[in-house]
Amino acid sequence: MPIIEVTGVSKTYHDAASDRVVRTLDKVSIAAQENDFLILLGPSGCGKSTLLNIIAGLVPYDQDGGRVLVAGKPVTGPNPKLMAYMFQDPVLYPWRTVLKNVEFGLEAHDVDKAQRRERALKYLRLVGLEEFADAYPRQLSGGMAQRVALCRALALETDIILMDEPFAALDEQSRILLGDELVSIWRQVRRTIVFVTHSLTEAVYLGQRIAVFTARPGRIKLDIANDLPRPRAIGAADFNQMVDRVWQQLKAESQAASASGKKAAREEILLPKE
Amino acid sequence: MGRLSPALARVLLVLVLLALWEIFTRLSSVSVILIAPPSAIIWQMVQILIRASNVPDFYANAWLTIVEILVAYGLAAVFGVLTGIAVASSKVIGDAFEPILLVLYAVPKIILYPVIVLMIGTGPATKIIFGIFVGIFVIIFNTAAGLRQVEPNYLRLAHSLGYGGAKIFFKVELPAAAQTILAGLRLGFGYTIIGVLTGELLLVNAGLGYLIDWASVNYYTAQLYALIVITLAIGVVANYVVGHLERRWVRG
Repeated sequence: MPIIEVTGVSKTYHDAASDRVVRTLDKVSIAAQENDFLILLGPSGCGKSTLLNIIAGLVPYDQDGGRVLVAGKPVTGPNPKLMAYMFQDPVLYPWRTVLKNVEFGLEAHDVDKAQRRERALKYLRLVGLEEFADAYPRQLSGGMAQRVALCRALALETDIILMDEPFAALDEQSRILLGDELVSIWRQVRRTIVFVTHSLTEAVYLGQRIAVFTARPGRIKLDIANDLPRPRAIGAADFNQMVDRVWQQLKAESQAASASGKKAAREEILLPKE
Repeated sequence: MGRLSPALARVLLVLVLLALWEIFTRLSSVSVILIAPPSAIIWQMVQILIRASNVPDFYANAWLTIVEILVAYGLAAVFGVLTGIAVASSKVIGDAFEPILLVLYAVPKIILYPVIVLMIGTGPATKIIFGIFVGIFVIIFNTAAGLRQVEPNYLRLAHSLGYGGAKIFFKVELPAAAQTILAGLRLGFGYTIIGVLTGELLLVNAGLGYLIDWASVNYYTAQLYALIVITLAIGVVANYVVGHLERRWVRG
């Protein structure tokens, strides 16, 4: 039984600026098995982040027959015992130390103080930030801050981790390094990860499965199994073949999205560097 | 020769000015009723503090002023922060009452003082209420602004982690707004002091403001300056204490 099961979910909203009804998701169905590393890849505005937020219970979806089941139960709101969520920005509280930021997620659940601390330190150790436990977020680089955010998500010890372009704001080196760490952690702890990105390289580098979205309104165009052996090498022949294969699918959608003319530069599809 | 430190330079500047002032009052023909020499002012301060001057009931009056300021500030802080929270907590409350508060804030409060005197009388309560009135608005507006400017992502994160209601308020919104709220509390403290002293200078029946007025109308110029310096010193010390508490709270 899949741990995440999305069936025929649509999302429409009223856009106040243009006074039009916009449909971002159109009867999307997708499932993730336990221990999946599922990538949601698509052009800007295709609704991939919206789908992630719907799975997370942060955003409602249209009540027209679609449904979202997580661990067999319908999603009604955020469920931090089951799903951790990671944003594009680290969102660390500047008045808390690194350790206290990691503990923040556990404070909402009734985890006692000693256990909270122990668990937070365990994950800080895992990403090599133990010695920064008592530092404040302003003392960290962007990559370090995002590592702390990753720790906060991991420390919840949920079966599912949802990630909304978590490395998009980082420089390329940090992005690759953090991706490596994420994969190695994922292989150690075996959790289900759903990862939204607009970067082809990142999708192929990290993902076990890649779901390619159409341009808005988003549907799943193709669900590709990516069984390249790990560790993967960017630029290797089989890696490039996979990138090509995904790009063939994505190209038309990307063009369609560009033609519709509304995109932030940062959200455009990133091609692998030569 | 070592380098001149800023603190030393500041002290030197003050000493030089005091010396010039002293020389000027001794040598010029300007009456000591208009400008008292620093030496006489310092002498008077000592006399006042050891109760040897002709200033009536210095300690009772000073104590009254300090109590008025503390009570006025305590009430302004509590009700200012609570009102700010209420104004920021709901759009309806904010839209309904903020225009009224802004009008009250913009009015020169001194013109309402006769009304307060008429309603409350000439006791300490009048000065306390006026102090609150002068000090509370900046506390209200800073509290509301601080709470409104909390980054939406801070709230989204807490929401995704299962936080809600009061927990979000105390663990996220309040700490996130703390700096702005504390800045308002600090400004409000200064304004409250101004309000209380203004009230005393207008009522002229008790407190440091009354003593200052008494010295002025009786041409006790040295006493007048000495009392002003003492009042300033109280303000500086109190401001330091508030600033110290502010820093401790932000860190803790």
